[in-house]
Amino acid sequence: MSNSPSLGEVLDSQGFSRRDFLRFCTAAASVMALPASIAPTMAEALAATRRPSVIWLSFQECTGCTEALTRSAAPSIESLIFNFISLDYHHTLQAAAGDAAEHAREQAEEANAGQYLVLVDGSVPTRAHCSTIAGISNLDMLKTSAANAAAIINIGTCSAYGGLPMAEPNPTGAVPVGEIITDKPIVNVPGCPPMPLAITGVIAHYLTLGQLPPTDHLGRPLAFFGENIHDRCYRRPFYDRGQFAESFDDEGARKGWCLYKLGCKAPVTYNACANLKWNQGTSFPIQSGHGCLGCSEPRFWDAGGFYESVARGRFETGSKLGLAAAGGAAAGAAAAVLAQRKKKRLAAEHAEQDSDAH
Amino acid sequence: MTATTTSTPAPLFPTFEQVFQGLSGQIGQLRELAPKPKLPDKERVRRAIDVLIEETNADEAVWLESCIHCGQCTNACHYFQATGEAKYAPMRKMELYRRIYQREIGPFRAWYKLTTPKIKLSHLEELQELAYDSCSECGRCTMVCPMGIDTASLVHHLRSALVEAELVPPELATLHQEQKYRRTVFGASGEKFIELVQRIRDHYDMEVPLDKPQADVLVLSSAVDLVGNGNGLLATAKVMNHLGIDWTLCSDAFESANFGLLSGDMALWEKLSAPIVDAAIRLGAKTLVIAECGHAYPALRWNPMVKGGELPFEMMYISEFLGRQAQHGKLKLRPLQGRVTYHDPCKTGRRGGAFEEPRAVLRAMQADVVEMPANKEFNWCCGGGAGIFLLDDATRLRDESFRIKMQQVEQTGAEAVVVSCASCRLNFEAGRVKNRWNKRVESLVELVAQQLDEEMAA
Amino acid sequence: MSLLEFARGPAIHWSLIILTVGILWRLLGVLALTRGADLSRPRDAFGNFKGYRTVFSRSWPAGEFTTATMFQTSVAYVFHLSTLIVVFGVTPHIEFITGLTGWAWPGLPNAVGVGFGVMALGSLLAMILRRLSKPAVYCSNTGDFITWVLVALPLLTGLLAFGHLGARYETLLALHILSVCALFIWFPFSKLMHAFWFVFSRAQSGIVYAHKGVRI
Repeated sequence: MSNSPSLGEVLDSQGFSRRDFLRFCTAAASVMALPASIAPTMAEALAATRRPSVIWLSFQECTGCTEALTRSAAPSIESLIFNFISLDYHHTLQAAAGDAAEHAREQAEEANAGQYLVLVDGSVPTRAHCSTIAGISNLDMLKTSAANAAAIINIGTCSAYGGLPMAEPNPTGAVPVGEIITDKPIVNVPGCPPMPLAITGVIAHYLTLGQLPPTDHLGRPLAFFGENIHDRCYRRPFYDRGQFAESFDDEGARKGWCLYKLGCKAPVTYNACANLKWNQGTSFPIQSGHGCLGCSEPRFWDAGGFYESVARGRFETGSKLGLAAAGGAAAGAAAAVLAQRKKKRLAAEHAEQDSDAH
Repeated sequence: MTATTTSTPAPLFPTFEQVFQGLSGQIGQLRELAPKPKLPDKERVRRAIDVLIEETNADEAVWLESCIHCGQCTNACHYFQATGEAKYAPMRKMELYRRIYQREIGPFRAWYKLTTPKIKLSHLEELQELAYDSCSECGRCTMVCPMGIDTASLVHHLRSALVEAELVPPELATLHQEQKYRRTVFGASGEKFIELVQRIRDHYDMEVPLDKPQADVLVLSSAVDLVGNGNGLLATAKVMNHLGIDWTLCSDAFESANFGLLSGDMALWEKLSAPIVDAAIRLGAKTLVIAECGHAYPALRWNPMVKGGELPFEMMYISEFLGRQAQHGKLKLRPLQGRVTYHDPCKTGRRGGAFEEPRAVLRAMQADVVEMPANKEFNWCCGGGAGIFLLDDATRLRDESFRIKMQQVEQTGAEAVVVSCASCRLNFEAGRVKNRWNKRVESLVELVAQQLDEEMAA
Repeated sequence: MSLLEFARGPAIHWSLIILTVGILWRLLGVLALTRGADLSRPRDAFGNFKGYRTVFSRSWPAGEFTTATMFQTSVAYVFHLSTLIVVFGVTPHIEFITGLTGWAWPGLPNAVGVGFGVMALGSLLAMILRRLSKPAVYCSNTGDFITWVLVALPLLTGLLAFGHLGARYETLLALHILSVCALFIWFPFSKLMHAFWFVFSRAQSGIVYAHKGVRI
């Protein structure tokens, strides 16, 4: 860890009061479902922390994740959190460029070997020359940076599950980080983009408790991804009453009825959108009148059309039931015709046998 | 008509009770006379399967496919209700048939050939009790089946298969052989029939036309008349004469009984029907009246192999014939004393449709008729139909199931049960004797003869 | 591919294909067999048409059997009606059918769907208990029990999925769809085909008896 000043010193120098800071800790603790009593401890721990080095690797991504994080209104706890860390490498945010930038990364990795965090946004192409930085392929850079990392946090669905670049037909052979790096602790903070508080919450958890937060079977922190959006949706009562918007400009849509039939993926999407909402708690997609796309779920681009409801079957190349019906009918008719022939043959034999007997 | 100037002669024939005793002895001998299987086992199985394939059409296939094992049919079957034994559940009777159907001509036969066990002779041997002893093909289960499956028809096909497998119960097998090769039943030949007619003519000094051309009505007799109970034929003759009908008997077409139908031999069924139809055409009869012998009704009237619509004559059961006479006010009868109830034979009732006519006859004698709780389409079988009365092995089943019938009759408070079927009558008689039952069992036609109003004679 | 994707995709598609092929194969394989001819003269010339009444009249047992069959009949009615209401009344089911056929109709409130689902499952339980307690009456075979399980599972998993009980929703939903797939695959080869046969079977018997002037 570098000899940089502690977080407390930094905050002081920026004019944040201890009250503000405690408030952040309480909020962070509560969203992560930690007991409220942990907030002072958390504040102590965070204040005393030497800012850990963070390498932010951007591969096949759209910068939306970074945008989400930085466009939140200042001074926000989301931007504040960036004061907890020493962001030693980030294409978009760092001032350095070219060799200087790469050099900074190498230096940070060397100086903080075994201690630094790697944050990744974007998926990793496995096909050569698809995406390189300073002539280094994404794959190589990930492997090098991950080698001495303490842990990896995947920011956004692309690094967590492959996202858009991995969608059919996946021209770059994109894979999520977890398929390349298997020997490091990894937390996924999916979303397109992920909720800023989820990103900072995971970082805060790591800094405070020295470990990554508990996750679900898809590597997502349970604190933010433990419940599906449908269960927390304010439109749920309409779903239960059977009141649905049938199109985006019908009476139901105007009245704010459930968007299930318009393809809302909330029932099968785990995220905190309905609890925390976006833009300082202003709104979230469903509130704005559009169904959830399921962006925090693996394969969300490929798992059905955005406007097809969860319940619909998925027959990619069209349903083959007409063909099946014709085939079944033909087989049945053939079976009956053959049976009739058999009956006729046996009847003839039987008649012969009878005439012999009499 | 030659009016009887002298007092009524002493009865020529024994009472039905005596006839019953005599017949029981004869039935006992049938077992010993039964033919032994001649074909190799494999051949018997093959022929049984083949005949089922041959007889299974879309109707049978649908019925076999439809069963959902809902168990309702057990409520309707007298053999199941009387014993409570699983194997007598009507749906059980179809199991082997279904397997053969599925393996041989069902739409998924390739699959079932692979997955179901091959049919063995032992399976068919087990079937014998189910298709003969414990099913009188009465069709009551069809009335309750939510799918409306006609189990009786399916059982009839199973009997066809068992004929081919040489697995007909001994009593039926003996009679089947006799009728097949000698065209007689219990030795009732044409000569004996002529002799019987002559005896009636002589003893009662009455006209009994035989082989009379251009008679309006050709009347059949049955083996039961011939082997002892001439009273049936006598009564029929009296009634016909009384009604002033231009009728006749036929010396080479008199037998109503059809052991082709009863055993399940379709070919014999057809062969035995043919001479009767031919005789009716030859004699130019307009109506063929079938004697009181339940299964003879489906054997002739409902014979699916005889083009009934193209025949120049109509076929009727004796109760139907008498009923129509009564309905047209031609049958004048003296009032009958005492309360009676009417038992619908399965073959003429539920499976024949002659419900109203016998009742019209009873109304004509102003009888106090009380219907049984389950009557007409829902009538309980007496337990002796479809040849079961003859089967020694079915004794327990008959006796147990007859209790249901007794209960039904008891509930009417009637003194007598009127039946119009020799099998039913024999079975009632057996039940009456065994249970020391205080009811009389009457034949409809004999009752009519007894109640004829001589004053009003035509 | 997740379990849910498998269920919504290839599993349901293939099971529907098997269902369609199987139903038509079996129906035609039977119905295209020759019809046996009854040449005897019908009791009255147009009487046979009356036989078709049985298709409807047999929907309720005749007075003679009402008492004996009361339990079975009423429970079966509860089961069939509740199941129909659930299958065609619950919004996700309608959505599925709409996706397949383009037909749509308004759905029921969830509470109603759950209520009928519970009734369907309850009646199914009542029927299996009776079946087990009266072996002589029901003569059950393996097929009867497989059918029962495969009918009960979609109801059970559907209710669990709706209540998010026991596992994550997408898992329960996938299991629900897979249980329906199993039912679809089993359907054409089992006694469930009575959904079609009952019409033909009743009509046939009705005609056979009407031919003789008997109303069954």
